[in-house]
Amino acid sequence: MPPAADTLAPTGFEIDRATHTIRLTRDFAADPAQVFAAWTQPEQVACWWDAAGEPLARCEIDLRVGGAFAFVSRGHPDMPFAGIYREIAPPAWIVFDAMGAVGRVLLAEAEGGTHMIVEIECATAEQLEQFVKMGVHIGTGRTLDNLVAHLDGAGAA
Amino acid sequence: MNWTSSTQLDTAFAALSDPTRRAILARLALGEATVSELSKPFALTQPTVSKHLKVLEQAGLIEGARDAQRRPRRLNAAAMKDMAEWLEPFRRLWESRFDNLDRHLATTVKKEK
Repeated sequence: MPPAADTLAPTGFEIDRATHTIRLTRDFAADPAQVFAAWTQPEQVACWWDAAGEPLARCEIDLRVGGAFAFVSRGHPDMPFAGIYREIAPPAWIVFDAMGAVGRVLLAEAEGGTHMIVEIECATAEQLEQFVKMGVHIGTGRTLDNLVAHLDGAGAA
Repeated sequence: MNWTSSTQLDTAFAALSDPTRRAILARLALGEATVSELSKPFALTQPTVSKHLKVLEQAGLIEGARDAQRRPRRLNAAAMKDMAEWLEPFRRLWESRFDNLDRHLATTVKKEK
């Protein structure tokens, strides 16, 4: 993982408790069409989805309303991020159902680049808890995987 | 942080799984309020509000303020902070994902030019 990600790339993060929504924001120099493509073309998603930076083992996208997607990481092939597209409005937004929550990716043009808002809305606060526990589990697993990879590399060198 | 001893968090999230309790919490975020002050906007009886307050209190999300006569309730900022800290690894997961996306976009944009 890159050091001091907090200072290099500040990410907005807020929890809207009233609607059990986690909201993350990020600004990119690329325009909304490019960011939209990065979210919806399997060969592009495969390059960036895995938090550990590894290309995905499998990335399937059926980009139409009611179409399914599955992002499968190498480290956790048993825990795909999978769901169904609910709304597709290039280049402005994507709405999908995944892991019992509603995901929204909103892309707005801002100063020649893109202001991105990603919302994860759970049905209840309890579901938010379960959802985050899962996310934490995956994130922690990846961190440990990084450590293992790092140690393996150091041993081989 | 200790992920295994999450009883307090379980209770806190369970307490928040009710729309009335979330509304009460949202109201208390604006400042302390008594049972009667909380009853009015929610069109609830005082015993019902008291019941909800008890759940929030047991979850450690609210506490009694000093005035013993009126027994106003207020948010417990520390408990809210615990919940936010518990979400931190989740935030980091998405942050590193967006860092990747940022780098990926930088390379694809370069190629197009």
